Amino acid sequence: MNVVEQKLEAVFRDIAETRMAGLPICNSALRVQAVGFREWQEHWVGVLVTPWTISLALMPGDKAPLKTLGPDEKMTWEFPSGKYEFMGLNEPALGTCQTCSLISPVIDIGRHEDAVDVARQVMDALFVTDETDAKRDADRKQMVEAARLKGEPVLDKPLSRRDFLRGSFLGT
Amino acid sequence: MSTETFYEVMRRQGISRRSFLKFCSLTAASLGLAPTMAPQIAHAMETKPRTPVIWLHGLECTCCSESFIRSAHPLAKDVVLSMLSLDYDDTLMAAAGHQAEEIIAEIRKKYKGNFILAVEGNPPLNEDGMFCIHGGRPFVEVLKETAADAKAIISWGACASWGCVQAAKPNPTRATPVHKVITDKPIIKVPGCPPIAEVMTAVVTYMLTFDRIPELDRQGRPKMFYGQRIHDKCYRRPHFDAGQFVEEWDDEAARKGYCLYKMGCKGPTTYNACSTVRWNGGVSFPIQSGHGCIGCSEEGFWDKGGFYERVTDIKQFGVESNADAVGGTVAGIAGAAVVAHAAVSALTKARDKNDQSKGGK
Repeated sequence: MNVVEQKLEAVFRDIAETRMAGLPICNSALRVQAVGFREWQEHWVGVLVTPWTISLALMPGDKAPLKTLGPDEKMTWEFPSGKYEFMGLNEPALGTCQTCSLISPVIDIGRHEDAVDVARQVMDALFVTDETDAKRDADRKQMVEAARLKGEPVLDKPLSRRDFLRGSFLGT
Repeated sequence: MSTETFYEVMRRQGISRRSFLKFCSLTAASLGLAPTMAPQIAHAMETKPRTPVIWLHGLECTCCSESFIRSAHPLAKDVVLSMLSLDYDDTLMAAAGHQAEEIIAEIRKKYKGNFILAVEGNPPLNEDGMFCIHGGRPFVEVLKETAADAKAIISWGACASWGCVQAAKPNPTRATPVHKVITDKPIIKVPGCPPIAEVMTAVVTYMLTFDRIPELDRQGRPKMFYGQRIHDKCYRRPHFDAGQFVEEWDDEAARKGYCLYKMGCKGPTTYNACSTVRWNGGVSFPIQSGHGCIGCSEEGFWDKGGFYERVTDIKQFGVESNADAVGGTVAGIAGAAVVAHAAVSALTKARDKNDQSKGGK
């Protein structure tokens, strides 16, 4: 565990035990854990798991200060998988930090290990440059929507009755 | 009855071609469509005859109409209303009495199966519908009759979509949402009390331009505007994440603009576009002016405890009822594939899909 993870966990553990203690929006099965923090563009990025939210978190590196965002101010960061909008989390004990919410509330997650698994997978998917499944799906959706609006067939090529009955349109 | 195109109407009203094209690209952006779709909107508007809309009012307060006619959407004031070919809307039309009622009959006959029925409010069913009389007859009869010839129905607001205050317990008039009375037509629910003007304009524009209904979620709401919770994109969200809450009205935290969850904000359980589209032309929204969200676009929001009571049972508030709810996917987690799916869909949701429409933010 690196310094950034330690610092985040210490601050958020304190928040969990004080200000968030006993709130019904918290999932008691989850704990505070900083997952998979790595250096990126001279900053630190990783996933912060807490009983009330799972978010991407961006922390300043040793040499590169991070912009402190005011209320209603956003900053867009471009990762290999796409652009993400971060907001400024200003907690005196933590210093500058930017977060981008992924899942909240997290009531439905049964075990802490599952939340950490999700966080790990998020970190993997965040840095996938190529056509991830999600991006391919999004592109395809955009294409289908365009075709639908033009009144053109949504499928790439005509579908035979046999293929239709075999459900081949589901496979594309 | 006019059969001119939207474009002709716009030109007749002195709108320049330049403003018209600008309107098209803004519409594309507000609908979450790629900028390449703008020419298509323009093309449809230049060539398609206007679709007539009948706008009926049941048990309601007209706040949906108020919101709609105050749309800050460019040109909306002059154009969208005439574009709509609002042939019957008892709040806006000039006709009255028998003359007005004849309009409905005429449109039903002339545009059978081809007009859109917009319903604001809902029919009460008790006492054979006598609690809401429309032109001397129970509203429920007029609704059923008109709906029978309509192509599609838009349920404006919480009343038509869910029932709203008149359907709150004990619902003395048995006020009933439109989809429980009309079961054989496509219904688009646009909930909210009222819905956001820009959302209403966009839904109508989409339907009139493309002659199709927008993609709906499992509850029948347009996904493009009801796919996220207020909480997901709330500008006070970092305060929630850091446990910084307003504890009392007018305390230091309230002045600093901290999270209003403890003051009863229903943002974490409400699906609507207020935190992104905002109100009055994007100027503000309830949380920005210091009051929690009351969850007015959720089903039965009057019966879910006080507006200032903290949300205690998250599940009860329909977090899982959204087709795309990530939380729902994670529930009862089974294997690596499910985790991967949850992770990827959470990331996809967080991703900035339409940075061109964001402007200076």
